[in-house]
Amino acid sequence: MAEEFLVAQDLYKSFNEHKAVNGVSFTIYKGEIFGLLGPNGAGKTTTIRMLTTVLEPDRGHVTVGGHSIRDNADAVRSLIGVCPQELALYEDLSAIDNMVFFGRMVGLDGREARAQAMAHLELMGLVERAMGKVGKFSGGMKRRINLAIALMGHPELLFLDEPTVGIDPQSRNNIYETIEGLRDRGMTILYTTHYMEEADRLCDRIAIIDGGQIIAMDTPYQLKSRIGPLEQVTLEDVFLKLTGRRLRD
Amino acid sequence: MKQLKHIWFIAMKDLKLFAADRMALSFAILYPFLFVVLFNFLLAGIGGEDERLELHLVTQEAEGGLSHQIIEALQTKDESQLKPGEPRIVWTKDYDEARQAVEDKELGGFLAFPADFTEGVLMGYGAQLEVIAHADAFNTRAALNGLARAIASRVGAQRVANHAIIGLLIEQGLIGQAIQQLFLGQEAIIAEEAFIGFEIEKVGKVEAENPANFVIPGYLVMFTFFTAGLSAVTIVRERQNHTLERLLAGSVRRESILGGIFTGTVAKGLIQIAIFWTAGILIFGIDLGLSPAAVIILSILMVLMSSAFGIMLATLVKTPRSASSIAVLASLVLAPLGGCWWPLFITPEWMQFIAKITPHGWANTGFNKLMVFGADFSAAVPEMLALVGFAVVFGLIAIWRFRTSAV
Ligand SMILES: Nc1ncnc2c1ncn2[C@@H]1O[C@H](COP(=O)(O)OP(=O)(O)O)[C@@H](O)[C@H]1O
Ligand SMILES: [Mg+2]
Repeated sequence: MAEEFLVAQDLYKSFNEHKAVNGVSFTIYKGEIFGLLGPNGAGKTTTIRMLTTVLEPDRGHVTVGGHSIRDNADAVRSLIGVCPQELALYEDLSAIDNMVFFGRMVGLDGREARAQAMAHLELMGLVERAMGKVGKFSGGMKRRINLAIALMGHPELLFLDEPTVGIDPQSRNNIYETIEGLRDRGMTILYTTHYMEEADRLCDRIAIIDGGQIIAMDTPYQLKSRIGPLEQVTLEDVFLKLTGRRLRD
Repeated sequence: MKQLKHIWFIAMKDLKLFAADRMALSFAILYPFLFVVLFNFLLAGIGGEDERLELHLVTQEAEGGLSHQIIEALQTKDESQLKPGEPRIVWTKDYDEARQAVEDKELGGFLAFPADFTEGVLMGYGAQLEVIAHADAFNTRAALNGLARAIASRVGAQRVANHAIIGLLIEQGLIGQAIQQLFLGQEAIIAEEAFIGFEIEKVGKVEAENPANFVIPGYLVMFTFFTAGLSAVTIVRERQNHTLERLLAGSVRRESILGGIFTGTVAKGLIQIAIFWTAGILIFGIDLGLSPAAVIILSILMVLMSSAFGIMLATLVKTPRSASSIAVLASLVLAPLGGCWWPLFITPEWMQFIAKITPHGWANTGFNKLMVFGADFSAAVPEMLALVGFAVVFGLIAIWRFRTSAV
């Protein structure tokens, strides 16, 4: 296989006795889209927050591009881009101002930040709305801006935490296409979702997570073929088989 | 370098958001302006020339004594000659009547020369001046004490050198002129000495002249604090909508985030005070006093302290709603306690004491000293230090508690 880019070993995180992440290990290889698939509350976001250096694990070890998140957080941060599950935007600023601001914060100079911002807005089909206040945007447009900001500075590893949750089909499609485009350009992506079709369509490999633990990890093809003939099986069936319950809650 | 850039960009972003936020702008700039206009108007009606402090002097000496000469020299002959803020000095003849008047609260107090004043001074065993004042009349008491000190020190200093001459002069009936030299010739010194205990005496002047000299600082203190307090709302909101966390994952240090927010809040405050002072000078004709630099420094410290408070508040609450409630509540409680709505120097002692536990009280006292009582830079240093103290305490709590995310 290709070069290891992110290695997470034995991660634990509890919130007041509640074990949100309970011994998670996986490896993401350079250039792949790695899916973290699980129902709400499974521990996906908590895992991402630890991997992106904003939440300290209770236990466990993570390296990104060979740098430990604990000892060399700055080096890790310079490699990653994060699209958080929540819309982390300034609603009272325009789309372009949001993007330029975050671009400058990852170290771009003014001209480069502006150029990248326009390019990413173009990619997201939002160029005409560049000067519009984000607060006035539709949910789908906000999601796209949220993702576009994560691309500022061309990170090598992109974390996408449920980037399509609750949006219209057009916005969703636009996001899918963007992600596929990024993969084709060699970006490594960690993608979390609770939509099976999405994971099936986009991810090279999938870890199914539930109750803070990874209960299966493989390519979508292999996961499905464990259960039965490919044409008849969905990831939903895989999850049902593994946990005895439906994925959606 | 990178950190400084981060701080700068965060601050600029906050300013941009501030400029786009009509609500915040009106709270920070428009409302204070309306308040100032209103209260300046209301307070202009109060007070006037009769607010001038009256100091009564009495002597128990027989006619011809030194104290008669002193009082004669000191007493106000032509009130129209008095400068604003100078007390009117009245020669009250009868000690017992004066004493009774104090007991009946008709008179705040008086200064009395003892029967053996001349003898004490000339013979070298000294004399005891007596200040009789009502317990509540602390303005008068302070002024009388100051006057007594001034007389004592002038007489004391000149006594050794002059006592022979004075004796001679008295005999030759020339004492009047000598006393004039002794006191009025040294008017500046008396005024200065008296000033120490005289602060209150100038109430009359300010109210008669320009209420804006304390109305504007009062509202400046109230509204810089209020605006900075409200910035806690923005910070909590940012923490909740994950933009702070996003910055953190984007290699911005926690300290830079904190520094950027602080700088942005301070910048808003500086804009506010710039507007306050400019409007104050151009529209209301306020007088920054002997040391405009001290006034500016005090206002900047007020902004720094308030900004530290705002960030501290953000670290102590969970929701934007509680942040705004506490900011409003704290501003509305601390403003009157700290003398933003009426000058502290007209309030009773216990209120002045309470004011000392509020940063507002210190700031207002500093501004009053500088802009109302004509004090110089050094007089406002304790107030500046107190504001630094509050700022440091709030700042340390903010640094200690600051989190970028809701957990
Ligand atoms: N900050 C927090 N404080 C307390 N509990 C939390 C916190 N963050 C997450 N949890 C809990 O941890 C579990 C995992 O949450 P999360 O990682 O957000 O799941 P997912 O992203 O898969 O929906 C949930 O039960 C959630 O309630
Ligand atoms: Mg989540």
